[in-house]
Amino acid sequence: MNNLLIPSSTALRVGTRALLRLSSTSAANSNRIWIGRSAFRTQSPARIRKLTRDFCSRSVPDVRRLAETARITLTPEEIEEVGPKIQQVLDWFGQLQAVDLENVEPAIRADTEGDNLRDDVPEVFENREAIIAAIPSYEEPYIKVPKVLNKE
Amino acid sequence: MASTLCRVIQFHTHHFFSSPAVLFRRNKAGMMYCTMKSTQSPDATRELKMPQAKVAPDNYRKLDKVTEGFEAVIGLETHVQLNTVTKAFCSCPYSYGSQPNTNICPVCMGLPGALPVLNAKVIECAVKLGLALNCKLAFASKFDRKQYFYPDLPKGYQISQFDIPIATGGYIDVDLPLEFGGGHRRFGITRAHMEEDAGKLLHTGNSSFSQVDLNRAGVPLLEIVSEPDMRTGVEAAEYAAEIQRLVRYLGISNGNMQEGSLRCDVNVSVRPIGQLEFGTKVEVKNLNAFSAIGRAVDYEISRQSLLYSKGQGDEVVQETRLWDEGSQKTVTMRKKEGLADYRYFPEPDLPEVILTEGYVEKIRQSLPEIPEAKRRRYEEMGLGMQDVLFLANDISVANFFDTTVAKGVDVKLAANWIMGDIAAYMKDEKVSIGEIKLTPDELAELIKSIKDGTISGKIGKEILFELIAKGGTVKGLIKEKDLVQITDAGEIEKMVDQVISENPKQVEQYRGGRTKLQGFFAGQVMKMSKGKANPAILNSILLEKLNSSS
Ligand SMILES: [Zn+2]
Repeated sequence: MNNLLIPSSTALRVGTRALLRLSSTSAANSNRIWIGRSAFRTQSPARIRKLTRDFCSRSVPDVRRLAETARITLTPEEIEEVGPKIQQVLDWFGQLQAVDLENVEPAIRADTEGDNLRDDVPEVFENREAIIAAIPSYEEPYIKVPKVLNKE
Repeated sequence: MASTLCRVIQFHTHHFFSSPAVLFRRNKAGMMYCTMKSTQSPDATRELKMPQAKVAPDNYRKLDKVTEGFEAVIGLETHVQLNTVTKAFCSCPYSYGSQPNTNICPVCMGLPGALPVLNAKVIECAVKLGLALNCKLAFASKFDRKQYFYPDLPKGYQISQFDIPIATGGYIDVDLPLEFGGGHRRFGITRAHMEEDAGKLLHTGNSSFSQVDLNRAGVPLLEIVSEPDMRTGVEAAEYAAEIQRLVRYLGISNGNMQEGSLRCDVNVSVRPIGQLEFGTKVEVKNLNAFSAIGRAVDYEISRQSLLYSKGQGDEVVQETRLWDEGSQKTVTMRKKEGLADYRYFPEPDLPEVILTEGYVEKIRQSLPEIPEAKRRRYEEMGLGMQDVLFLANDISVANFFDTTVAKGVDVKLAANWIMGDIAAYMKDEKVSIGEIKLTPDELAELIKSIKDGTISGKIGKEILFELIAKGGTVKGLIKEKDLVQITDAGEIEKMVDQVISENPKQVEQYRGGRTKLQGFFAGQVMKMSKGKANPAILNSILLEKLNSSS
């Protein structure tokens, strides 16, 4: 729920997340298409472009299904409102797909400048009380949630 | 306290199915060694209460009939929790058994704006395991988000590795337990990847609420996926036991199944022999012991075979089943409606994971001898398979043995002492080999002192228990207690004479044909000498005296 409602630090992340939700609305292979460029490695550039074009052109966002996947409840008005916004994000990505990448080596990640690693040294977070205080339903020492027995 | 107990129980992990049978056998010197053939599994506390749970060879014969004409295809997914000090993507310390919800911070709680930073140690552990599993390493791999909703997953996604795992295409060698016919097997490893653990969800009583403890959320895991190379429950269980051995040898995890540091899910399908395509795959979870893996797999094989042979093959459906220890059956947990859609995508908050040749090479050089290499080396040293499997099972026992043997003592004698009296003591006192006061150096000294005749085997055994319980040195104890063996024939003869003269009735009986009484006389002389008389000299003098004067 946080994912969709709380603005992320960059526009790109918003876009990625929106697409992520969308991927579940389309055919099974869309899941593979959107796992990142690395998944394209075995595909020819022409094939990739065709797949992504297909994806962007066919999708009219099924907001109801998206909301279900994200486990959020939307009113009919909200569905009305969100639909075109998501379509807009899709259109941006449609534009990105038009870029000619014929001679570009696929990259695993966009930002590959150096490692950003941490030593295995413990540091206790000091404001634990604030975290605990923000938990909607807490019964010392556990977080209380509605009973769920099955995953998925 | 709990950890002590676990370590003890783990020491006894020889093989998963086993009876705590203790065999006695006589060695050349006539001394009794008690040898544990095999003891209970590390997770035996539960099994011990359920003797009916043991899979006896009989059950296998029964199983054979049902499964005739069918072949099982088995693969395992194993999660290994790493023993890093901190979590995978934040600096929260993690230790099993902490107060719930104390090891938490904005990152592992999934609070907005918090960013993950990878613990370098996680990569090191992954590379160690990848190399030990003979895998190909990805010099550039990445993290992905696996999306699902569950209360133990604060972020709504798990950071994992999807399409580019850090290690792929390896294998692991195992030796099957002798009680199941033994034999060497090589099982393929599909991949191993890094990911984070979820929190713990506790369902208590009939309340409509569940409790969540997020201490474990974000703790690093390595998931190891095997090729579907196993065909029996024994093979599946031994594969899992070997993974436990391996991670303990590598020092990357405590491999403790009860604490959930080693978790195995098993995929089982059955097909008619000769058929190429796989049968419908059933996943079995809730396997908290190696023995449970073996039994659950065998149960599934016979359940599925039975359905196929009755023409009810359509009742074998792709589903997740739970192993129920009480009824010794698997039960449906959930049917799978199509594959779960985790909507993987690359984790935007983490850079790719880059390995350099130099880094990998350095780790390769630092790898310890892995269990398979140790077993083969012990075999070459001339040890029997039973000894090999026992000694190599636990790294601390193996290290104790290696250090003892390095002092130049006889390999077989060292093995006998460790597997016999020392193992028996550890079992009785519930301590690990690291907790006993006896050092490998002193064990070597003890073996030498017996071999060169300084002390008798009997005295050696007495000193051993003192060394184990209180420590000290062999030389010190021999001096302090005046234990040097009596080899002076004259001195022994005096004692023999005295015993014979003090027991005229027994002498009469002996000479009347009850020659078994020799043992009685020998015992009396030994007692008189406080166990110090050389047994060979004693017996030859005694026999001579008893037989000659008639
Ligand atoms: Zn944390």
